[in-house]
Amino acid sequence: MKFSLPRQALILAALSLLPGVGQAIYFRDKISWQSPIPPSEMVSVDQAREWGDSTIWIDARPDDQFARDHVPGAILLNEDRWNELLPQFLAVWSPGKKVVVYCSAQSCDLAREVAERLRKEAQLPDVFVLQGGWEAWLKKNH
Amino acid sequence: MKTHILTVTLSFIFCLTARAELKWEQTAVELHPARGDKQAIGHYKYQNVGKTPVHFKSVHASCGCTAAQSQKDQVGPGEKGEITATFNIGDRTGTQVKTVTVETDEAANQKTVLTLKAIIPQELEISPTFVFWKQGEKADPKTITIHAGKDFSVKHIKVTSSSPDFQTKVEETGEGQFKVDVQPNETSRPLASTLTIQSENSPKTFYATARITTAPTAPVAPAIQKASGAPAAPTAPARPPVPPGQTR
Repeated sequence: MKFSLPRQALILAALSLLPGVGQAIYFRDKISWQSPIPPSEMVSVDQAREWGDSTIWIDARPDDQFARDHVPGAILLNEDRWNELLPQFLAVWSPGKKVVVYCSAQSCDLAREVAERLRKEAQLPDVFVLQGGWEAWLKKNH
Repeated sequence: MKTHILTVTLSFIFCLTARAELKWEQTAVELHPARGDKQAIGHYKYQNVGKTPVHFKSVHASCGCTAAQSQKDQVGPGEKGEITATFNIGDRTGTQVKTVTVETDEAANQKTVLTLKAIIPQELEISPTFVFWKQGEKADPKTITIHAGKDFSVKHIKVTSSSPDFQTKVEETGEGQFKVDVQPNETSRPLASTLTIQSENSPKTFYATARITTAPTAPVAPAIQKASGAPAAPTAPARPPVPPGQTR
């Protein structure tokens, strides 16, 4: 089978579009350049709830959003007032606890940043980011 | 034939560029806030180079720490304007990258992502900011290392414990580098202390926490939780102290 030159060019152009289209579909709800969170550092709502009382929920959103609504028992810890809020969280943390950090949605990066600071600066183990954030939690509970 | 391909390609490119009406002077800014600054503000200038008005449908920041504002809702042909993104620094440190997504009614380029990169000076790097002993654990000292951040010079630091139950000892280990040994007097009961760290030439105060933790609690059956507007009331279930040498 022999294709004419324009047809070959069109086929090549169409093929070159495929990766871009695939990426656009995959990242339609995400910011593609945002550094991805390794799956081992993420947890689903169901999994976190299965951990029961050994879970400490951390709300990484700004104060006003936390005041409106939050996961029951969640502790406010955001970077706006990190120095003030961190000791309050550390006062209830104990070894063996699993820390689940959330922000508003999958696309927000506040939870990722708070989780990273807890791991690096406070050197806490078992710190996870909630998949889908507050939106996912609401979806599962309404 | 080659001429045809070139024509088609050029027409395609021309069509794409002709439809993009809002031209941005820059879509990424890098800011270097000074020590003590509360905010970093990015300005993104644009001009409508098209022949029809452009309407802003939404201007949305990637996080609650950034507020984005447009001067106007509609930009007429030839008109200029700017979007401002105000990033609240809070207690953030290091390099912060935030985005603002601008949606317009342009046919070709409806979404534009503006990037704000703020490099926040870090005067002291403290690692770790939390030291703890399990209840009943041997009361050995634990070390916090502190070193001056890039472009900062620190000769002396002062560490104060909020509780007399913890002792601190500061030792200089190199230029701008310090070792702080923290030691509890005892570990038989839960205790906590906030360690206040200050360098001689900075008004900023840094903090670390030292704690004697209660032993881990046994896992219990999953609890069904519902959304609530009630304020959080975290409680740490207290258990009787574990005698030294024993585990649960």
